[in-house]
Amino acid sequence: MTTNFEYNQEALKNLQIDDPSILDRLIDGESARQAHLKKERGKVDKRISLKEAVQEFVKDGDIYADSGFSYVRTPLQALFEVMRQGKKDLQGIGSPNTNHSYGIPYGTFSYSHNSYLGAEMRGTDRSYSKAVKEKKVKILSEWSHGSMGLGFKAAQMGAPYIASKSLLGSDIIKYNPYVKVVENPFKKDKDPVCLIPALYPDVVFIHVQWADKYGNARIYGPAVNDIALAVAARKVIITAEEIVPESDLRNTTNTNVIPFMFVDAVVHLPYGAVPGNCPGYYYWAREFWEWGIRIALSGKDDKYRDSFWDYWVFDCKDQFDFIEKLGGIRWLNKHQVIERALNGINEDDGIDLSYQSVIPKWDEE
Amino acid sequence: MSVAPANPLEMLAYVVSKNIQDKQIVYVGTGLPMVGAILAKKTHAPNITLVYESGGQDPIEGSMPWSVADPVTWRKSPITMEMPLSFAQAANGYVDVAFQGAAQIDMYGNLNTHIIGNDFLNPKARLTGSGGGNDLISLTENTIIVGLQTPEKFPVKLDFITSPGHLYGGNSRKEAGLLGNGPVAVITQLGVYDFEPVTKRMRIKSLHPGITIEIAQACTGFELLVPEGEIPVTETPPLDVLEILRNEVDTQKMFISFPPQ
Amino acid sequence: MEFMYATQEQFDRLVDFKGAREYHLSKSRVKKDKRMSLGEAIDRFVQDGDILAETGFSYVRSPIQAYFEIIRQGKKNMVSIGSPMSNTSYLMTANCVYAIHLSYIGVEMRGNDKNFARNIKTKKAEILSIWSHGSMALGFKAAQLGAPFIGSKQLLGSDMLKYNPYVKVIENPVGLDKSEPVVIIPALFPDVCIIHVQKADRYGNAVIEGPAINDIALAAACRKVIITAEKIVPEMSIRELGNACIPFWYVDAVVELPYGALPGCCPGCYYWAREWWEWLVRIGTPKEENVQDVMRYWIYETKDQFEFIEKLGGIRFINHATRLMEAAQANIDDSLVSFDYQEVIPKWD
Repeated sequence: MTTNFEYNQEALKNLQIDDPSILDRLIDGESARQAHLKKERGKVDKRISLKEAVQEFVKDGDIYADSGFSYVRTPLQALFEVMRQGKKDLQGIGSPNTNHSYGIPYGTFSYSHNSYLGAEMRGTDRSYSKAVKEKKVKILSEWSHGSMGLGFKAAQMGAPYIASKSLLGSDIIKYNPYVKVVENPFKKDKDPVCLIPALYPDVVFIHVQWADKYGNARIYGPAVNDIALAVAARKVIITAEEIVPESDLRNTTNTNVIPFMFVDAVVHLPYGAVPGNCPGYYYWAREFWEWGIRIALSGKDDKYRDSFWDYWVFDCKDQFDFIEKLGGIRWLNKHQVIERALNGINEDDGIDLSYQSVIPKWDEE
Repeated sequence: MSVAPANPLEMLAYVVSKNIQDKQIVYVGTGLPMVGAILAKKTHAPNITLVYESGGQDPIEGSMPWSVADPVTWRKSPITMEMPLSFAQAANGYVDVAFQGAAQIDMYGNLNTHIIGNDFLNPKARLTGSGGGNDLISLTENTIIVGLQTPEKFPVKLDFITSPGHLYGGNSRKEAGLLGNGPVAVITQLGVYDFEPVTKRMRIKSLHPGITIEIAQACTGFELLVPEGEIPVTETPPLDVLEILRNEVDTQKMFISFPPQ
Repeated sequence: MEFMYATQEQFDRLVDFKGAREYHLSKSRVKKDKRMSLGEAIDRFVQDGDILAETGFSYVRSPIQAYFEIIRQGKKNMVSIGSPMSNTSYLMTANCVYAIHLSYIGVEMRGNDKNFARNIKTKKAEILSIWSHGSMALGFKAAQLGAPFIGSKQLLGSDMLKYNPYVKVIENPVGLDKSEPVVIIPALFPDVCIIHVQKADRYGNAVIEGPAINDIALAAACRKVIITAEKIVPEMSIRELGNACIPFWYVDAVVELPYGALPGCCPGCYYWAREWWEWLVRIGTPKEENVQDVMRYWIYETKDQFEFIEKLGGIRFINHATRLMEAAQANIDDSLVSFDYQEVIPKWD
């Protein structure tokens, strides 16, 4: 196959991408524009189940954007459903793009556009490292958070590209076929800048606290890249803690609102960000991540990893099953109180933030 | 009542705090830099403002965050910004200092958080990637590097330049088109380093009590520059500051217990 | 370039990325009480020769009372920019502004601004560059994003390109078709803007209700930022809602200025003084001497916004304007609220 785009040849060579056409769709603004032109304009009830949303809107091979911030307001339950439905060969992108690692062993994701993939202070994701070495995943491009975020932002602004002072001088540009370093044409003196093209993923799930049935959605807490992603992506699915009347959103017009016309489907999905955190609603299941790092993401014997994901994803029907395994209503209540305390809307004196970083019994040999 | 002397991580947190001047806007990540920043705010630098890459700006005080997007990073923030706009503040001259860690640091303050090993497609270890690291060091006026110093972590040559410091020394950072001064200090468990103004090579600025040039050099893969004259000993935390660090900053000892949890 | 009035330095300063960055780095970071009077804020932070960015949207949440103070203080040799920038018309008449970067100056459905046309024809002021709203807004946005420039599909094929020395058309270096043209727009850094908001705290954290237009970008881009606010609220009340859009470290001065957007409207507060604009368009603008009369009565012989309101009709005017705005925003039952107004020539004229 051939491509009509001009890519950084050094990066293609370094990443051993023989057929660069696989890169095209991410920056094909015209095809994204056409997809947007064909979207439903009517204000119709777009509510469907999570299963239906994944069946209908996630296609094998899609460029799937991680939203939220790793474990904050991230649609993890939707991702788990994508894994359960056995979708294949997705390209993972996002800043951060931490969560697509989990589906790689199952063929859910086969390609990475990386900005940051790891568990922050809990350490690196060794299962991803292993997948790279075993060629279970192919890296298509490397980014920083800011540069990838600018790519989504350029798409949101309808700008073909945006110039940046990030990435210059780094090896990242040798592993990114999309970005180009040019001399700033406005300057007489030499002034290198990095050109970042507008980025158009195929599909994004965005988990929000409140949405109406048409898809108007409101985010509380950091929006990260999600407002831009909602404009850029070809397909947008909102998963929401609560479906509120349209008038409720009209009464609070101010911050971080995604308008209904970008949205293809609305899923009422309380606890949709579990085991991550949902601002204003519930705190992380930190024990889950500790187990995850020590078992599933440890890069050790695959059987530990498989037993982990079997237990938490494939043997769970939905988010309610998942919460039962975490400890049910007791777990939930505790994490709702912690979240409110951290948000500064609950008395925090006397709130115990400590947690057991232990390997649970079920996983001991 | 006797107070136990500072352990190496507490010493690191203290030195980080001393590298923050009052009235600065500070870009912090999780971990020791945040501990140091909060300690600075509680001691000599009450007028600093903390900003975070996930978008939180000027939060009120809370517990230690678990992630850079932890609720604590935007706790009662008047404003949270979309991520690219938060980084843009560094480009626009509204951030004075940013802190960074890395898996590898070279003599010019370049950082690697991508791979260990020289084959990108088949590395010994694949690491996290850039995150906001590249953006911060590329755009911010001053960057301070914080990390543990070993010969492996301070190699002659990086396996990958994720975040450009002074690149190849001399004027090469400026010629690459980057903004700001780049890295101005490196803080480790052994000492504090700066960069010699012409060559931009890492140079000893002070060593922690009991650390000699020989020890520092033995823990470094490249040759450290040694300044003329006597090498200052890094100031250790006074007891009252240590107590604040332990009892008011990292009360759960998430970052300052040694050996690390 | 040859200029009639502006200096090359003023022309270059608008796109001086590094200069603006240096300026921002030199600003105080301290969270301190920045409140001062309007007179002091204009005196200290609006200087002769500055590039002034208009904010709001012509007559919506625009700091018009602050512009009147600029006129009263007789600032001069300024360059004006904004998308839109309709109030610049009077800053030119008053000899405050001698050069403009034009996007739109007019009175919308009330028609062309004859005063603006006359100022250009009589060479009272010169045009330095011509833009569309969107392209200029992208310039401010690029500045906010810390981006030296941004690619755009705006302006292509228009004659504006021939009258805009700042933008360039180049072949798309990243696109599908290499020969496809793209306009590149540099980041724009005006010197000073005054942003009128509904709420701010004493430090400068500011909340905007209704359309923000370019103001969030301008707050990040401009070297100096003055906030005029309907209300100064406790910091904690802004933290409670977390809905500020301008952080305090961008802000140099905070002015408590209720009714600061009059005779324009302020969302959530009061509706336009429409009769006033009618006077202006019908009587004020056709002749230079009439403009001078308008400015004498409404600006030079008016000390502040309260005197301005007295001339409009005092408390009765404000009560009505408040009701109209609430009705327009569907916050009160509007079934008995009349939006009629008299398009009359006022008695004093």
